[in-house]
Amino acid sequence: MNASVAEVRMQALRIRRNILRLIKAGKAGHVGGALSAADLTAALFFAVMRMRPEQPDWPDRDRFVLSAGHKAMLLYATLAARGFIPEKLLDTYGDFGSDLPGHPDMHRLPGVEASTGALGHGLPLAVGMALGLRLAGRGSRVFALMGDGEQAEGSIWEAAAAASHHQLSNLVAIVDCNGLQISGPTVEVMNYEPLHERWRAFGWEVRRIDGHDLKLILNTLATVPFHPGRPSLIVADTVKSRGIPFMEGKVEYHYWKPPAAELARAERELEAVAEVPA
Amino acid sequence: MKRGDLVDPRKHFGEVLTALAEGRPELVVLSADSSSGSGLSGFKKRYPERHLEFGIMEQGVIAIAAGMATAGRVPVVAAIAPFVTARPFEMVRNDLGYMRQNVKVVGRSGGLSYGDLGPTHQSIDDFALLRTIPGMTLFAPGDPVEITRALEAALAHPGPVYVRIGSPPIPVVYDSPEQCTLAVGKGTVVSQGTDVAMIATGAALPRAQAAAAALKAAGISVRLVSMGCLKPLDEDLVRAAARDLGRIVTVEEHYASCGLGAAVATLLARDRPVPMCMLGVPDRFPSSGPYEDVVRSVGLQPDQIAEAVRRFLR
Repeated sequence: MNASVAEVRMQALRIRRNILRLIKAGKAGHVGGALSAADLTAALFFAVMRMRPEQPDWPDRDRFVLSAGHKAMLLYATLAARGFIPEKLLDTYGDFGSDLPGHPDMHRLPGVEASTGALGHGLPLAVGMALGLRLAGRGSRVFALMGDGEQAEGSIWEAAAAASHHQLSNLVAIVDCNGLQISGPTVEVMNYEPLHERWRAFGWEVRRIDGHDLKLILNTLATVPFHPGRPSLIVADTVKSRGIPFMEGKVEYHYWKPPAAELARAERELEAVAEVPA
Repeated sequence: MKRGDLVDPRKHFGEVLTALAEGRPELVVLSADSSSGSGLSGFKKRYPERHLEFGIMEQGVIAIAAGMATAGRVPVVAAIAPFVTARPFEMVRNDLGYMRQNVKVVGRSGGLSYGDLGPTHQSIDDFALLRTIPGMTLFAPGDPVEITRALEAALAHPGPVYVRIGSPPIPVVYDSPEQCTLAVGKGTVVSQGTDVAMIATGAALPRAQAAAAALKAAGISVRLVSMGCLKPLDEDLVRAAARDLGRIVTVEEHYASCGLGAAVATLLARDRPVPMCMLGVPDRFPSSGPYEDVVRSVGLQPDQIAEAVRRFLR
């Protein structure tokens, strides 16, 4: 699927609208990190990954693993935009027994490849998928989205070593580096910078990019694998709550339980920003 | 193999798994620097492309196995028991249990096998930990025949399975392999008796059998039940033992408070309360030393089991 930058931008806006729709239904959620990575999933789902929404278990599909499982709203918003699930289903978020739980459940929803939530699981799961797909002789690729706070999990670095040791060129991992986690700035909570150098030292081929520059995102993803025989890593520098100016870059919107007026303001600001030509 | 023959459980496991890999191209072995110690050198030699090494990556390897299973592989992860259970517990719970992935985890040198290496390497809480996971199947085969059966059943069962084996040589318990009915949710009546039922699992089985023989000589008739599958528990077998004998003794190389005895007691408290005696490791970290001495220190040698049964029946 080859979508233009303008089309992907439109889908990113749709994903952000869906995130606010989810918040409205569920009345709370991890909004900051969902919004910061919306440009990344828009690019993956609308321009990069080989997938068939009408046949979600197509064996040759590319896999998307949300390692930062608390960005569940981002996944649901993206799956709805891409046609895996009806957008109406988003209104069940937060309901008892909803197919859209607080963290994604692979057995409840098409397009969810792994039941993540506990941090540090998604990347090793993605490594296993990439290995398994290669052993099965399939050309599928695996894309994993991590958070920057998640980099403090030791299991991420176990998986990082395994991926380069086993030369998983069919694996692409992205760090949504929004710089904030629940206790404050990531570099103050537990500093893993310079992230790109650490990943490079673990044997990955690395690119560090502006995670909101859609043209750059698409151009970068178009060149994976960055190096034959190596896994690819993108550090995407992003802004928490991107797209809603009054919430941008503020740690209090990591998890948001919005009063009605604040939600209405968020909806207004998202539309106002969207009208400004890029 | 005939009754009483001593067999190295790790070597036997490796040979059986290698034989079962024939005709199962999806079966892969994941090693956390643990293959040779798990009896899998032969597998590695025979199927090098299906043997993947990860080094001492004891959390990650479980999640990686789950990821491979999503792509249709059937991973077998074998390592020292605590390092595939207690160490990566959240990976086992979430990535195998919650995600319902078809991965076989083999905890070898389980129980008190590593008496000499001490509590860091002993695994006397693995039943307790893994029993809490919905959908998990738990085997603790008690003799070589049961190891074969457990592996066959594990591979035939589409879901996460844990198999615990020891490392000291174990004797064949059965007169003939046909006598063993071990399967998912099925145990075996090893011998009939009229005074008390003894339910044993894993490496405790041969010692329970020796204790039953000693008791028989002393005029006490024991129904010996092997519970080689701890989850799902063979509830019919337990209820029948309670109904027929009225008194139950459980024997396991595991904390007595939270393994086989606890599973049996939980069932019988609901369905048929009877007096029980639960033999296992008391609530402490065992001292280290030679295996047989450590087993004695927790009261699990045959003469100690027999004495405990006599006291229980008094």
